[in-house]
Amino acid sequence: MAYHYVVTAQKPTAVISCITGNFTSPTDLNLLVAKVSRLEMYLVTPEGLRPMKEVGLYGRVAKMKLFRPPYEQKDLVFILTARYNAMILEWRTGANGELEVVTRAHGNVADRIGKPSENGILAVIDPQARVIGLRLYDGLFKIIPLDKDSTELKAASLRLEELNVYDLEFLHGCSNPTLILIHQDLNGRHIKTHEINLRDKEFMKIPWKQDNVETEASILIPVPSPLGGAIVIGQESIVYHDGQSYVAVAPPQIKTPINCYCRVDARGLRYLLGDIAGRLFMLLLELSERDGTASVRDLKVELLGDIPIPECMTYLDNGVVFVGSRLGDSALVRLAAVRDDASQYVQPMETFTSLAPIVDMCVVDLERQGQNQLITCSGAFKMGSLRIIRNGIGIQEQASIDLPGIKGMWALTLGQGPHHDTLVLAFVGQTRVLTLNGEEVEETEIKGFVSDRQTFFTGNVCHDQLIQVTDEGIRLIGRGPGGWGGVAAWAPAGRALSVVSCGDTRAVAAAGPRIYLVAIQQGALELIAEVCMDEEVACLDLGPGGEEALLGVGLWTDISVRVLKLPDLRPLHTEKLSGEIIPRSLLICVLEGVCYLLCALGDGSMFYFTVDPDSGALTNKKKVTLGTQPTVLRSFRSLSTTNIFACSDRPTVIFSSNHKLVFSNVNLKEVAHMCSLNAVAYPDSLALATDSTVTIGTIDEIQKLHIRTVPLGETPRRIAYQEASQTFGVITMRVDKVEWTGGCGSLVRPSASTAAASASAAAPPSKHAPAPLDLELHNLLILDHHTFEVLHAHQLLANEFAMSLVSCKLADDPNHYYAVGTAILNPEESEPKQGRILLFHWCEGKLTQVAEKEIKGGCYTLVEFNGKLLASINSTVRLFEWTSEKELRLECSHFNNIVALYLKVKGDFILVGDLMRSMSLLQYKQMEGSFEEIARDYSPNWMTAVEILDDDTFLGAENSFNLFVCQKDSAATTDEERQQMGYMGQFHVGDMVNVMRRGALVAQLADTAAPVARPVLLATVSGAICLVVQLSQELFDFLHQLEERLTHTIKSVGKIPHSFWRSFNTDIKTEPAEGFIDGDLIESFLDLSRDMQQETLQGLQIDDGGGMMRDATVDDLIKIVEDLTRIH
Amino acid sequence: KCPEPSPQSIVTWSRHEQANLVSRLVRRELGANSTRAHARLAHAHFAHVRTLRLQDDDAYFTHTIFHPTQQQLLTATSSGDIRIFNLFTGVEENSYQVHESYIYHMQASRDGSLLLASSTTSWRTLSALWNMKEFEQLFQLDNEEYVEFSKMSDDRIIGTKGETASIFDTRTGLEVMTLTPAISNQYAKNRATFNPTDELVLSDGVLWDVNTGKEIHKFDKLNQTHSGVFHPNGLEVISNTEVWDLRTFHLLRTVPSLDKSEVMFSPSCGVLYAVCSDQDSEERSQFDTSFKTLDPYDYSSIATIDVKRNIYSLGVSRYGTQIALVENMGDFEQVQESCVKLYDVGRKRDHDDDAEEEEEDELAGG
Repeated sequence: MAYHYVVTAQKPTAVISCITGNFTSPTDLNLLVAKVSRLEMYLVTPEGLRPMKEVGLYGRVAKMKLFRPPYEQKDLVFILTARYNAMILEWRTGANGELEVVTRAHGNVADRIGKPSENGILAVIDPQARVIGLRLYDGLFKIIPLDKDSTELKAASLRLEELNVYDLEFLHGCSNPTLILIHQDLNGRHIKTHEINLRDKEFMKIPWKQDNVETEASILIPVPSPLGGAIVIGQESIVYHDGQSYVAVAPPQIKTPINCYCRVDARGLRYLLGDIAGRLFMLLLELSERDGTASVRDLKVELLGDIPIPECMTYLDNGVVFVGSRLGDSALVRLAAVRDDASQYVQPMETFTSLAPIVDMCVVDLERQGQNQLITCSGAFKMGSLRIIRNGIGIQEQASIDLPGIKGMWALTLGQGPHHDTLVLAFVGQTRVLTLNGEEVEETEIKGFVSDRQTFFTGNVCHDQLIQVTDEGIRLIGRGPGGWGGVAAWAPAGRALSVVSCGDTRAVAAAGPRIYLVAIQQGALELIAEVCMDEEVACLDLGPGGEEALLGVGLWTDISVRVLKLPDLRPLHTEKLSGEIIPRSLLICVLEGVCYLLCALGDGSMFYFTVDPDSGALTNKKKVTLGTQPTVLRSFRSLSTTNIFACSDRPTVIFSSNHKLVFSNVNLKEVAHMCSLNAVAYPDSLALATDSTVTIGTIDEIQKLHIRTVPLGETPRRIAYQEASQTFGVITMRVDKVEWTGGCGSLVRPSASTAAASASAAAPPSKHAPAPLDLELHNLLILDHHTFEVLHAHQLLANEFAMSLVSCKLADDPNHYYAVGTAILNPEESEPKQGRILLFHWCEGKLTQVAEKEIKGGCYTLVEFNGKLLASINSTVRLFEWTSEKELRLECSHFNNIVALYLKVKGDFILVGDLMRSMSLLQYKQMEGSFEEIARDYSPNWMTAVEILDDDTFLGAENSFNLFVCQKDSAATTDEERQQMGYMGQFHVGDMVNVMRRGALVAQLADTAAPVARPVLLATVSGAICLVVQLSQELFDFLHQLEERLTHTIKSVGKIPHSFWRSFNTDIKTEPAEGFIDGDLIESFLDLSRDMQQETLQGLQIDDGGGMMRDATVDDLIKIVEDLTRIH
Repeated sequence: KCPEPSPQSIVTWSRHEQANLVSRLVRRELGANSTRAHARLAHAHFAHVRTLRLQDDDAYFTHTIFHPTQQQLLTATSSGDIRIFNLFTGVEENSYQVHESYIYHMQASRDGSLLLASSTTSWRTLSALWNMKEFEQLFQLDNEEYVEFSKMSDDRIIGTKGETASIFDTRTGLEVMTLTPAISNQYAKNRATFNPTDELVLSDGVLWDVNTGKEIHKFDKLNQTHSGVFHPNGLEVISNTEVWDLRTFHLLRTVPSLDKSEVMFSPSCGVLYAVCSDQDSEERSQFDTSFKTLDPYDYSSIATIDVKRNIYSLGVSRYGTQIALVENMGDFEQVQESCVKLYDVGRKRDHDDDAEEEEEDELAGG
């Protein structure tokens, strides 16, 4: 059997819908953004958008609309999912002050029989909030009357005469809800209105209609009262109609189809229109007044500027617009009153990173640190880009100094002002001081400072003084008229100091088992308390809290952590750490209002606790492994939040997110010491010391996945990494708009392939070829693997689509080649009849085509296979060998597919993903030089990606957003059973998976990691990245029980059952999910309150490690689930 | 003047389909939906995978269906047998004598436990319900020429006897309702059928309300043979070449390629199969040697597949990935050669020549 766990590492980022309203309170202005199956609520503030709450939905948002019933003070949200779950949601502040999403009403509005409309789901709400209208199936219009107290959404069906409806809306200012729609029949497109009788649930009459509007008219905009009527947006014309008057314009600015709009003012005189090329227009209604009533006189359109290719838009306030995209980053833009230098009215304000759609990716360990990075082909058209995704936090190096043997490092402010200007470095037996003068660094001395001893601590303290602690004692340095000078000193009686912690007014130092508390005063140091511990002190840290702060102490020999309280160093709590490893670094700090004590041991592991600030009691003990060497913990501030840096051979940033500690890797090999540095030349930076170097760098925004963008300006389609040449190969598609402006050539927008350092082309473009309206050009780009600079662009033939790319090393040929598979496109054909396989060599800055093989079809996938080139070409799988004459020669073929779209290989085995016929497994028989079909899944699955999990287990994704696992059964008794793959799992992942790659973003740490195996990364159309791993049966069974319990504990938004959401669902069947654990649900266990966690695991049994079952505790589960969260 | 619709391009984020698979795949990766055009592509080709024959020569195949749950093919013969073949091995696994003569129609219940079969001889027609496990007869429906199950579940059976339709309870075999039109349309091949929600019945060109047993509408008779079938979308009735709007009873369109054809839908409703079987005035059936696939969305033709033999019956597998054809040679009265052929949906036929061509290319190139 096979057991799998699927979890989202990166949530979907494509924006499907956005609305502005007063959702969280009558006075809050909110933006609500739907990203496929997630809803994000923001507060609009003068400073920008502030995230308020994000919730997941058990469904894909198809439509999201706001409305305000007359009895409500704020706006409600209606959502319809792709599987027809309807819901009315309210965002409400609960008793504990937390924002919660309340399902006011819900219901499923699907019909068993019906013709789902090809034009998609349409949902509209009457402006007076009397009724919701839905067009789900052709020929039917559903209405859901909005009653105040109804918690059930029940739809009644009305027969709609018009079959082919493109858009519909409710008109404003009508005594009965009145629908307006655009429909098409044999004669063209028309608009028509229908008045609805809500009581009898039927259409009453047709108040007015207009036959023959523009043939491409597809958007209706209802105009608010008192004007009323509606605007009809066509491809080239805009019409206003209110039943009596009719105004039409054909604005020359509009060249590409408009695909979304938003209203700017409440009166409805101004609208923003967005087109599919990512341009923003303003539509203005000009009125003429007669007898006190206004009517529309003219429509004016103005081009405002460039925006992301929009999917939806919403006007916030004060000229600020949110533009949601599913082809790239969404954005917040401001509309300026005047044009800027680039003659744009649109000014970008904020960008919301989106990876959507991820079309291809590769997993590489670029920095050779055992940590993978993901390079994705993301976005489309002008928003195309490569994204470099890394788990963990990046440090961008600004400067570095070679200095070996650093034992400690601190930043000081010697001059005036808030910035650091000095860096103190401790070495064995000496201390050196560096002055930061702009970007220059020079060595200096501070008067009163001891330089021939190793500093244990130094810092700015109260009364504008400095403190320096060495083994001989504490020195206080003050600023006098002649500059800095020593003002006070304190030395311990007896043994030398070994560890120290220092606050603004207090210093705590230990010598052997004795701890001294010294008060820092103006020009004086005063010992105020002294205690002797049971054992020698190994590490200590002074917590926040001034004179009554907590002191954490780690002891040698008995391996314990003590909590003492100032000012009398009263012992509060003793916690024995298990094991024999000595604590080496201790830290008490407050993150997101929770006080933690962290204690790192000599073996790279770390315990952490939550500390009760009053009693000093340590609870919620947890252990993680950070590295293999002694770890030094340091706190630092980044963007006004406190974080912890664990210096070790595997440096880690620890931060708090959602009241959980999150451990994030850093892109550095090792860090021995670090301190925050906020110098004039290096603001908000970190100084990091390794064995040999001090590096000053800035830290990325603290988040779990770090994403870097390399904009291309055209659609990336495939990526391959070639280590030998230190390059990436990327296939891109560029669309050149041919605009015949006075007979001159095409208009080419600059993008990666046009701006490459060098360029070549398959054939010079023919001058006499008839120019199609939009020219699609495919290029192979060669990019530097560090800088991502485009080194070369090779353009393919005019009608040639590049479909596949691989970096390969063939036969005995020592060179590494990029192999590109193409299809020659003839729009009249249903399938390509011709294509090419091209082999390129990138060497010394030159791209050489070394081979070309003509093939009879499109080459969908290329894979290196046993030193040969394996290709899927239309319905066939073919193996080409590389001859000594440097030619590709066909060795063997396999024919048993409709279209063989995807190939994955392992050893001699080949997994084939078909357009419709699911997956099949081939074996290459080396001796015979032939393929044999070993096993096949006979269900019809329209594949979008496949991957080999192990020798017998295969993962597939299909186009109804499901995942499934098939297994071959080599041990079966009959041929029939052997040749048929069995289903070992199925799961609705809720997104279309475009690509699967073996690998993970997190390096596995042997002892703490969750027991999972064979990770596979999936990337989707909506920009999500998921991880699938294999589990043992025991863990699967255990998690399955937890999953089942969580479905009861966690109330789903819209009351959609979890089992419904995850059920395998296609046109022909719906079956319960099996063989997969929903990791997203499992991880939500950590978000529950402790009471809820306790309630959830009631009666859950766990193996105590020795085969005996006992009741699981909350801590058991937190440990298991937290370990699982660390796999991504 | 309104502008003409612009030609489709890849940047046009429109709802229209792209004709070429390659450009569709490029768009699918970016998030466009292309299911319908993919389905069209898949149903344009059929590759022959297996031929099943009868061991004895004195009978021939007349009808075939796929077992709804097992990897088996059920075939009916002119001598009244049902032969069960293993789809995987092609081996005849069982044979049951269920009728005495020519079985011209079978239908299995969805759970694979029951089978309806209809047979005819010159002196009487007979339908019966069988238990599929042992092929025990559960009950007979005398004089019913054609029987089928209701659509939502298998709890009712509707039988056809000339212009009259009768509804039976599947459990008891008792007749529940009889629907006889006031004025008969006299279709030659009337086949009473439930609509997808089992609320309506179409028989002899007349639409009935099952709850009341009353006639709702009588469609104009524009052909002699077929009373018509319901489209699975519940909105249309296909009556020979005419497609009627079930809500308005207006003629939606005329599809000449469906003339005299029996119409069948794939389980996903992604394709419509049409097999022509003409019946002339002397009640002697003429069989066509080709079948057609059409897009059930707009009735546009996808492909016409010629098999060069008379097609007596077409069966579609549970998930629509295979079809089985009864292909007979010779006259209806005197079948010379009879077989059932299995075809993979979507696969192309001959590939064998590719390798040779490749070699030729090599030679030419070398």
